[in-house]
Amino acid sequence: MLKLENLKCGYGAFTAVHGLSLEIPQGEIFALVGANGAGKTSTIMTIAGQVELQGGSISFDGRDISNLPARERVTAGIALAPEGRRLFADMSVEENLTMGGYSRPRAAEAEMREMVLATFPRLKERIHQRSGSLSGGEQQMLAIGRALMADPKLLMIDEVSLGLMPKIVDVCYDAIQQLKKRGITILLVEQNTQRALAVADQVCVLESGRSVWMGSAADAREDPKLIEAYLGLAG
Amino acid sequence: MLAFELLLQGLVQGSIYALIAVGLTLVYGLLRILHVAHAGLFTLGGYIGVLVTNATGSLALALLIAMPAMGLFGIAIYRTCYQPLLGRPPYVALIASIGLFIMMEELFRLIFGPYGLSYVAPPLQDPVGILGVNLKQAELAAMVGAVVLIGGLAFLAGRTRIGTASRATVTDPKMAEAFGVNIARIRDINFFVGSALAASAGVIVALLNNLVEPTMGSVPSYKALAIIVLGGLGDLRGTLIAALALGVIESFGTIYLGSFLDRDAIAFAFLIAVLMIRPQGLFGKA
Repeated sequence: MLKLENLKCGYGAFTAVHGLSLEIPQGEIFALVGANGAGKTSTIMTIAGQVELQGGSISFDGRDISNLPARERVTAGIALAPEGRRLFADMSVEENLTMGGYSRPRAAEAEMREMVLATFPRLKERIHQRSGSLSGGEQQMLAIGRALMADPKLLMIDEVSLGLMPKIVDVCYDAIQQLKKRGITILLVEQNTQRALAVADQVCVLESGRSVWMGSAADAREDPKLIEAYLGLAG
Repeated sequence: MLAFELLLQGLVQGSIYALIAVGLTLVYGLLRILHVAHAGLFTLGGYIGVLVTNATGSLALALLIAMPAMGLFGIAIYRTCYQPLLGRPPYVALIASIGLFIMMEELFRLIFGPYGLSYVAPPLQDPVGILGVNLKQAELAAMVGAVVLIGGLAFLAGRTRIGTASRATVTDPKMAEAFGVNIARIRDINFFVGSALAASAGVIVALLNNLVEPTMGSVPSYKALAIIVLGGLGDLRGTLIAALALGVIESFGTIYLGSFLDRDAIAFAFLIAVLMIRPQGLFGKA
């Protein structure tokens, strides 16, 4: 589904990721973990077309998208729930969802909206509320819901659990598992390694812009010391 | 009765300010550029209005030509003057804009002559009575026109997909793009709409004064800047209220303060007073 080959990316003269290769099969959950500043966010923002690709290539669905403008990547099927959520704060929940589905034909919108509101019933209660006035958990649900409105094949979520109460994190991770059952491929960026491991099929540990361990999440779950050792290196 | 007459006159003037300032606010919200040359399109709109009306006898046709023509001119200004400067600090574009405005004024002087043009047979000059106050038809048309045009814009911004996309672009252009918004198109549309509205104001002002001259845009240019600051920079509703408020305050001010304070000075006295109390403008967020 998604294949990175020797991906390098960064900001101007600064390189955040130095040659990352990975492949995410259709329908799996892939977790990108590592310390702050390891290059996790830069990686997914580069996949979304928001951060400069400095080398290597990105292919999606068998097609090279390395040079595709950001707005065409969402049409290709890649949607993003970014770090800090970045909702359109002055707009209502409903309008944020409309923006999420902006790349899709209007006819598809109602159907997607129903699916999103069924996944996150809380959003339905707040539908006309200004998104900036929502609680942190509701904002995270809206950020994921907005990305889902694009009817993505690949959903990328940055720091689901950051700053949220454990109960709300549960709601979000339940939703992520539901989405997997619908056949959506998911790329998670997480600092909360245990949460990510619990749902992921594969894991990659990043440290200073390089992959230091990659393998099946089941292996990592069986031997918790395995990943901790690498995270320890990073931390 | 005097108070009601002053209020009406103020609203007429405020409607014109609103038509000009809305375009400025759209551009500021989207690009954080103070688009001084906007007032040049207002003036050119006035010239086209007078020339077309004199040639064809139809004011409606003049508006139908001036508005889209200035809309396209606005897009051209964005693409040639602002787009190449987007990566620079905002004052670079501001200086470019001031330079462009001066150039436009001098070109108007060269092309249309220094003394200005008038309508040969100015339309809409008959009086209309409103609750005992006489307004010129043209003044009434200014108010009705502003309500219709700005109402249309509010509908576009608030109730349509493209309007929602435009507001999203103002909030977070990168995220809007990530969800499929064509930012370049949104900028074109905003310049088109804002410039077309300024052109409509130019045609109306030329009609109210029965004169269009090269420097017609200079006073509205800095006054519109005062208005968008008062309105909270980039906020459409705030701009609208600030424009109407300023029109009314000027209208009363010329009667009660006019002996020692010039009409145009009132705008800035008001601006200074408001900014001392609310530095974020009347309707801006802190």
